[in-house]
Amino acid sequence: MIEEVLRYAGLVVLVAGSFVNLIGAIGLNRFKNFYLRLHAATVSTIGGTFYPLLGLALISFSTPGLGEWRFFMGGTLLTAAFLLLMLAPAGSHALARAAHRALIAKPEPAIADHLKEDRGG
Amino acid sequence: MRKYLVLASIVLGVSALAYATTYLGALGPIGSDTRQLAKLFLMHTYNPEFPELTAMSPEAVTSIVWDFRGVDTLYETVVFYMAIVAALAIYRGVGYSAIRGAGLSVIVRVVTRILIPMNIAIAVSIAAHGYLAPGGGFQAGAALAVISVLLAVVFSASSFGKLGISLARAVILWTAGLLAIAAVVFAPVAFSAVTGVRAFLMQNYVKLDSPFAFAIHIYGQQVSGTPTWFNLAEFLAVSFGFFVIFMLLSLREDVVREQLGESRGH
Repeated sequence: MIEEVLRYAGLVVLVAGSFVNLIGAIGLNRFKNFYLRLHAATVSTIGGTFYPLLGLALISFSTPGLGEWRFFMGGTLLTAAFLLLMLAPAGSHALARAAHRALIAKPEPAIADHLKEDRGG
Repeated sequence: MRKYLVLASIVLGVSALAYATTYLGALGPIGSDTRQLAKLFLMHTYNPEFPELTAMSPEAVTSIVWDFRGVDTLYETVVFYMAIVAALAIYRGVGYSAIRGAGLSVIVRVVTRILIPMNIAIAVSIAAHGYLAPGGGFQAGAALAVISVLLAVVFSASSFGKLGISLARAVILWTAGLLAIAAVVFAPVAFSAVTGVRAFLMQNYVKLDSPFAFAIHIYGQQVSGTPTWFNLAEFLAVSFGFFVIFMLLSLREDVVREQLGESRGH
């Protein structure tokens, strides 16, 4: 019973992840400036990779055929998912901040630019 | 127009490769049998039944790199050593005075602080498992050297001083790694000189005319002979070799030029 639940939960998360990936890809093609495209890229790296890894971990936990190795596999997948969840936002944050500070990418069109206001610009 | 040409050439190229590999058999017979070359390597990688022919290291790539073609890898290490010596020679006379910098934002700093201990653990495990699993000394060294780039970029190059990492210490650790490699290379010969048993440079396991062999079990734990020790020594040499390079590269160009006595006009 619990294995069935885990398996279906894993599959749902996996499919949701691939859907998020698709949305991220569309956004990367359609968005107009660097920051929006960076946002779309982050959607597919975090949503489109974290969720599938989580789903695969759940599926491997619910596969008794793998024996004891399923905990090893699932644990590795969870660790990778955790690292990704931590590193991808930090990386895209650093990119966006650097691009903004170096005035390489102009945030246009923008409704408000709080970073610029903070710097007294 | 150009866009469609690129698209058409990609589609055509991929289809041609797919056709060649599937129908024309460009990769040779697939799945029929293990190839002769693979059989040869599997036979000699870890095979206690033929002790005089085996490298006694369960990882095929490590066996090839540190035993079958060990001298080649040794010379690669020498090339890497010479490159760092050249870098140090160019920078001679330049005192390592790190620039003061703010580094990146708090978010990136916190994540990096969590990451660095994991990075060290992974690098050490890649080096220590090099004889069992893909990895080895060079990869582990590269993984550890990433920390120097992270420190320089995320916390600014002044963090080296705060953490007690100086250029001199990095050079000492790098040299210690190289000396450890040399020690493993000369150990069989030294053993031969002391005991009178016949042994060769870089010898790993018994040969037809030489009974010398490195220990394969240490307190019941399976290790391989020279590949284990070469991996650990190479890990030290490569990681701190890269540390030296990245520390030098993190110096500001105008500071270096000033210290070298060059005027700006050159």
